[in-house]
Amino acid sequence: MRPLEFGRLAWRAIRSHRLRSALTTLGIVIGIAAVIAFVTLGASLQAGLVGDISPDDQRNLYGWAADPDTEGGPLAGAQPVFSQDDLDAVSERDGVDAAYGYMPISTQALVYGGELSPQSDALVAAGPPYIRPDTLEEGRQFEMGEREAVINPAVAGQFEENVSVGDELTIALQGGQQTTVTVVGITETSEGLSPFEGFEPSPRVYVPTDPYYTEEVESATGGVGGENASENGSSAGNGTVVGEDALFLAIVVQAESADDADVDRARESALAYLESEDSDTSELLGDELAVTMQTSTELLQQLQDVLDLLQSFIVGIAAISLVVGSIGIANIMLVSVTERTREIGIMKAVGAQNRDVLGLFLTEAVVLGIIGAILGTALGLLVGYAGTWYIDIPLVYPYGYVALAIAVGILVGVLSGLYPAWRAARTDPIDALRYE
Amino acid sequence: MATGTAVSLQNVRKTYHLGEPVHALDGVTLEIPQGTYTAIMGPSGSGKSTLMNLVGCLDTPTDGTVVVGGEDVTTLDDRERTTLRGTTVGFVFQTFNLMPRLSALENVALPQLFQSVGRSTRRDRARELLERVGLSDRTDHMPNELSGGQRQRVALARALVNDPTIVLADEPSGNLDTDTESDVLDLFDEFYDAGTTMLVVTHERHVAERAERIVHLLDGRIERVEELEDAGRESNATQNRRDGVDGTGAASGADR
Ligand SMILES: Nc1ncnc2c1ncn2[C@@H]1O[C@H](COP(=O)(O)OP(=O)(O)O)[C@@H](O)[C@H]1O
Ligand SMILES: [Mg+2]
Repeated sequence: MRPLEFGRLAWRAIRSHRLRSALTTLGIVIGIAAVIAFVTLGASLQAGLVGDISPDDQRNLYGWAADPDTEGGPLAGAQPVFSQDDLDAVSERDGVDAAYGYMPISTQALVYGGELSPQSDALVAAGPPYIRPDTLEEGRQFEMGEREAVINPAVAGQFEENVSVGDELTIALQGGQQTTVTVVGITETSEGLSPFEGFEPSPRVYVPTDPYYTEEVESATGGVGGENASENGSSAGNGTVVGEDALFLAIVVQAESADDADVDRARESALAYLESEDSDTSELLGDELAVTMQTSTELLQQLQDVLDLLQSFIVGIAAISLVVGSIGIANIMLVSVTERTREIGIMKAVGAQNRDVLGLFLTEAVVLGIIGAILGTALGLLVGYAGTWYIDIPLVYPYGYVALAIAVGILVGVLSGLYPAWRAARTDPIDALRYE
Repeated sequence: MATGTAVSLQNVRKTYHLGEPVHALDGVTLEIPQGTYTAIMGPSGSGKSTLMNLVGCLDTPTDGTVVVGGEDVTTLDDRERTTLRGTTVGFVFQTFNLMPRLSALENVALPQLFQSVGRSTRRDRARELLERVGLSDRTDHMPNELSGGQRQRVALARALVNDPTIVLADEPSGNLDTDTESDVLDLFDEFYDAGTTMLVVTHERHVAERAERIVHLLDGRIERVEELEDAGRESNATQNRRDGVDGTGAASGADR
């Protein structure tokens, strides 16, 4: 007897109990949908994030100081500990091409052409290399000491009239002061330029730390030190000072090249200085804080690790769901074998071999498993699609997992159908024909 | 004309052990020549169904030999017995035993499915047989859409689909009214005339009288064999066949 014939008969048996079959496959559907949805989201997220690391960014090391036990992404629990003197000293170190501070500055609004747009976290102060040439759509980097800014398209397109290079933009700071910048460049996309900013697109105005941050610190008239910087650097309103110096929330160290060896050398060199007696930072670190210094890739890897952990968790739950699903199929198949005892007897009486009966019931279980897998895959892809659409990342379908899901469906069908099918095959035709 | 032996039982015993041993068959010796029509009568519990199961290769005897279509059933393994059953024997049951989810046509085609006959060949063959039993307008009906007589005719068509040498019918008209009963029995006659060996279990004398001989069972033994020299049947084919087997001891009871 051929597989196609098995399939035809199995399909008929399944169709004659539509509701029962549908409920039976539910466990498989849920288990597989969960895995597919999550894997789709994971793969899409990864593609979205990794796609954002440009080769030019590979030589940048992002550093901040936090309690070593703090968990989370970049800048989690960060404290402002980097002074301008230290930054200057680090940039002189061997293997370091450049080093500059990074500081988000709280704002109230952006004003352009008399139009006001409320913004609380649009302003980022950093060194000129923070604007990598490959990220610029037009114009140039800002220069240190100049009242210049690079904006991203989200800011440029925010006003009735598009902001273009050469225009002046007024920024209302948290403290109420206003400051004016000349736009010298516009970036290509509105996504963050570094892991510090996060990767979601949002309006940004990038300015040099001098004068903007140093000025703000001065005007804050000796503002209170040690204000906790919130996660992801969303705000660090008042500056922090040590002596006369402003303290930065984070440091960006640029290695000589993106080579792993060069990156490691720059990291070691910078950390060695920052942790030495000579630095202001080491004083501020005390016993509780430690400096973390990592590349975008390494930081993403941490995110990836969290994602992987979550994924194992979901896969675990899905596995339980699949086991429950298999038990469901096995149970229904056993009921089905009992219900159809007489049919089995008839088939055997007219010449069905044990393996025919076995194959018939096994096929039925496998068809149930495959139906569950297909429905689960479709549902999972749908949820994955909705998820990527919602958080606005490119959709990547994990085709390997789709194949795997179908394989799992078949496997579940075989495993759960084996015992009931064996029972069916073993049925004594004489008993079966007498069965009422 | 075929004069071979379709079924041969030698001193067959079938014992069930339910605390005390029950001898469902207790030393039965019986020869059924090819192309003959034999009826089996006897009170309930006398071993008629047990005998049918043995001849139909559904069961094996506790003792003795059963030869069907030239093969000694007792020496075959389960798979070989199933093959023999599928190709050499056709069953007709009192309760019809059609597959409830298959149409009349599919029911008739079912035995060939297990012989790996292709789908279209199978369907052609099934259609041809349904026509022969007068159901060509019911091919796509499900069993529950058919009357009892129609169901039994489907079952008969199914029994014949693999060209069996022998058709076994265990009280085939037990669930039928008089009219449909005679329809079905007429079909038996027809297939008998066409050369099929018929073995029919019945309670009723008028059903048994359609056969050439009646084997009377009692308590697992053959009580007597009644030869119906004049069964009121005029078929030449029958006459010829009867001539052919005359004097061969067509059926002999072994009652010890
Ligand atoms: N599977 C079985 N287990 C135990 N006893 C059985 C079984 N099948 C038949 N018998 C016994 O064998 C005897 C003959 O049964 P059966 O051949 O069905 O009789 P009939 O068909 O003539 O009514 C009965 O006494 C019955 O109880
Ligand atoms: Mg009986």
